[in-house]
Amino acid sequence: MKNLKLLASEMSEGRRAFFRRIGQGTLLAAVAGQGYALLRSLVPNVLYEQPQKFKIGLPTQFPEGVTFIEDRRVYVFRNQNTFHVLSAKCTHLGCTVKMVNLNQPETVEIKGRQVQIAQEFHCPCHGSKYYGDGTNYAGPAPKPLACYQIEVSPDDGQLVVDLGETVSRDARLTV
Amino acid sequence: MEVKKSKWDRLMWTWKPASEREAGDSVVRNLLLHWFPAKVTKDSLSFRYSFWLGTVSALLFGILAVTGVVLMFLYVPSVERAYPSVKDLEFTVSFGGFIRAVHRISAHLMVAVVFLHLVRVFWTGAYKNGTASNQNRPFNWILGLALLLITFLLSFTGYLLPWDQLAYWAITVGTNIASAAPLVGDKIRFLFLGGNEIGQNTLLRFYVLHCFFLPLLVLFLFSWHMWRVRKDGGLACVDKLALKQKNEKAVPVKSKTYSLLGITRGRTVHVETALVAQDEHTVPSSPNLTRRLLAVMLITLTVVALLAVFVGAPLEEAANPLVTPNPAKAPWYFLWLQELVTDTTIHIGGLTINGALLGGMLVPGLLVLLLGAWPYLDKSSVNSVGVWFAKERRRQNLIFLAVVIFILIFTIIGTFLRGPYWKFYWPWQGWPEVPRRF
Amino acid sequence: MNWKNRDWAWIYWSAVVLLLITGYIFWDNMVPEWGDYQSDFKELVAQRFGQARAKQVPGGIQQVWVPQLGRADRCTTCHLGVSWKGFENAPEPFRTHSKEILDKHPIAQYGCTVCHGGQGQATDEQSAHATIVEHWEDPVLGADLAKTYLVKNREALLQINCNQCHRYDHETTGADYINYAKQLVQQKGCRACHTINGRGGMVGPNLTYIGDQSPEQYDYSRMNGVKTAFAWHLAHFKEPKAMVSTTVMPNFGFGSKEAQALAMLVLSWKKTDLPVEYIPGAKVGDVPSPEELAKEKQMETGEGAFFVKKTCFICHSVSTLGIESATNIGPDLANAAADVQARFGRTLEDFLAAPTGTMAVVLSTQIHLTPEERAEAISKLKAAYQLKLEQEKTARPRK
Repeated sequence: MKNLKLLASEMSEGRRAFFRRIGQGTLLAAVAGQGYALLRSLVPNVLYEQPQKFKIGLPTQFPEGVTFIEDRRVYVFRNQNTFHVLSAKCTHLGCTVKMVNLNQPETVEIKGRQVQIAQEFHCPCHGSKYYGDGTNYAGPAPKPLACYQIEVSPDDGQLVVDLGETVSRDARLTV
Repeated sequence: MEVKKSKWDRLMWTWKPASEREAGDSVVRNLLLHWFPAKVTKDSLSFRYSFWLGTVSALLFGILAVTGVVLMFLYVPSVERAYPSVKDLEFTVSFGGFIRAVHRISAHLMVAVVFLHLVRVFWTGAYKNGTASNQNRPFNWILGLALLLITFLLSFTGYLLPWDQLAYWAITVGTNIASAAPLVGDKIRFLFLGGNEIGQNTLLRFYVLHCFFLPLLVLFLFSWHMWRVRKDGGLACVDKLALKQKNEKAVPVKSKTYSLLGITRGRTVHVETALVAQDEHTVPSSPNLTRRLLAVMLITLTVVALLAVFVGAPLEEAANPLVTPNPAKAPWYFLWLQELVTDTTIHIGGLTINGALLGGMLVPGLLVLLLGAWPYLDKSSVNSVGVWFAKERRRQNLIFLAVVIFILIFTIIGTFLRGPYWKFYWPWQGWPEVPRRF
Repeated sequence: MNWKNRDWAWIYWSAVVLLLITGYIFWDNMVPEWGDYQSDFKELVAQRFGQARAKQVPGGIQQVWVPQLGRADRCTTCHLGVSWKGFENAPEPFRTHSKEILDKHPIAQYGCTVCHGGQGQATDEQSAHATIVEHWEDPVLGADLAKTYLVKNREALLQINCNQCHRYDHETTGADYINYAKQLVQQKGCRACHTINGRGGMVGPNLTYIGDQSPEQYDYSRMNGVKTAFAWHLAHFKEPKAMVSTTVMPNFGFGSKEAQALAMLVLSWKKTDLPVEYIPGAKVGDVPSPEELAKEKQMETGEGAFFVKKTCFICHSVSTLGIESATNIGPDLANAAADVQARFGRTLEDFLAAPTGTMAVVLSTQIHLTPEERAEAISKLKAAYQLKLEQEKTARPRK
């Protein structure tokens, strides 16, 4: 009789411990869930920012050479019928680089090739310098200026720049 | 049996003390637990004595603080962007609607619970001093009153922030009642609003009051309030217990002190001291008080979450100073005042009694003063401290009940029985349809 | 220890309920209404355009933010097909938007709700369309509402919002009800009694911003049926005395179409805060005087029209051909035939073929001349020079 009683109390002990574990787990899960909800609410789902892909105008509106689009921080290059886009954000800490026109076009060696450049980009913040094709050659800048994709919109023929897509330095859009 | 203590056990010992010694120690060694006395009386832990209303209001404040800080990242206190930011909370912020509903519901609940706590303290005579020395419960009652008024103000300042029609006109009504104060009324209103109208200045100063100054004031006063509770020897029911204990039989204790006529009997200092150590009326705070606290915390949180999901928080159209909703009502905890103002605006012949002054300022002002002075006017004995509906205090308890019922009735009338143009509508009478544009 | 176990029971059961609630809000957050629409759309795209295109369909809440108009519209979260060519016959909400309107009112610059109405910030259908939502008075002006008010053209109500910007047009393409209503206002002489935009009488109320009037400020005491501002106007236009017993406004015998058009027009008369670039037909610039306009016309059609067309006249006058430059930065081209020889020692043909100095820059960037155009320029310049010589001869007195 005593053994049976002991057995019964042991079993109920085990069951109690089991339910206690379930209870603790539920409590932990509930509190963790609420905590996650509070933190997740701080990760924005919509952004009040300018879109990454935007139209800049018809090809005919761009003069030969370089045009600076100030509010989107890009330089648009036009060479006869070809276009390409460089970012104006210095790759060091993000300041907007200034374009410096060279009095005479120079020939420099970039990656083993001889390239003719007519302008340079200098950063006013910490002195980084880039050649006209975006290659960094002086100062703390770790990488060349980014090249963004440019294409022609099928609706109205305007040039469309996509800051979300980078392309190679040699890529050109021919209109 | 030697039980090997795991790392977890060694970390958590203050929450699960294994002996009386450890229980006493845990209150000293754990930062969170130092708040509590080492031991509490079993009566203090009773749900039926205090309903833990004070604790619940403090917990609600905690919930409000946490959700409030999160909301501060998401809400913009500018008249152009406040309403759109609240709309964004409802539609684009993950869990935004839930967090906002929890915040608003906790706020309304806190006003109600703080009031109920005041009612409980009154009916148990817990604002009175007992037999111990250096008690000052009447002062703690005044601290509590201050906390009640600040709770009202916190809720009121927060009410404006969504900048919808409900918010804008409720604050219009509220501040106009306040401006009825004699002499300084208009100046107070000007300072409160930051101008003559409710605009950006109002929104910003209400926001700063709501998020910074008033919570800081609450924390300060609340700490003082709790410290006073400890200084006064704990909850008032402890005093009742002490009185009962005096009549309990105590075992004489052998001591080395000799009285004038030999070994003394009855309750001497030594008997009392010995009794403290073996008091069967107390239990260690850790884990008994902490366990109850956890239970109350969870119940509060669950009730708030349930209400947040099933009732939610309202949001009306964007605030439009050119269109007054019909009727325009103050927040529910001021509706008894608004109703009172209506009923005290009496026209006798050509004379009109200023209801805003009478009902809006004088009556509530008088009530607050009376409440504050009451502990000092109460002449009942120490036998009524910490006792529910003590016979000795029956008359004042009934008067208090009458006032509470009066406030409740006026709140109910203001909330449910007043319709457009503040006309009286029975609950079964429908209100006229609100016209729409299309 | 009974109470100890009871406390734990309270703790664990509250935890269970709290977990259920937490689960519910998580589910509500992870399975939003728009999720279904987006997956349906992806399937549609995959069927019609293949998997590769389907992968490009964006996920999550889509927002068009137009800060100049103060709108953040999330309609494109469900209405994913508006800019896709090829879904003209797809079921809503995936249908392509009509192209002609979108060309003139691109979504990135206008959003959606400024024309269609609705609650742009909402992310579920009922709140966004807002036809029966409490506390949002700006529903989508679509087929549902049109059906309620028995408007024959189910898309007509939209024109109310067209007129908020196009208010000062005499006629707006595509807004036939509004155009009709504007005609009626002219024909019936509403301004005799009502002030509209600063002109008119004072017998009736000022209607300039009547569209802003709160619906609660109308008198519905004599109205049967649904109490809305739109319905009030319909009834009032059909029989003014029915709504306002003391009115002297005559009954114009308007039928349903007239009443609907006028009600739409009147409700569109609201205060708007439009940036200049959104005002139709607004030209920002100097207004030339009638004399300047006449001279411009003459230059465009006269002998020197070539120099206007090729924009030479910006810097150069060609006096004998009647071309006057506003700037005269360069010399008078009437002399060019002799000038070019004198200054550069070259003929006109030579110079134009291989210019130097400023002309080199201009002729390579701004003005491009084909060989034919160059020939035409040269012949005209020579003719201009001839005219100059003749004029000088006649001016000089014969000795």
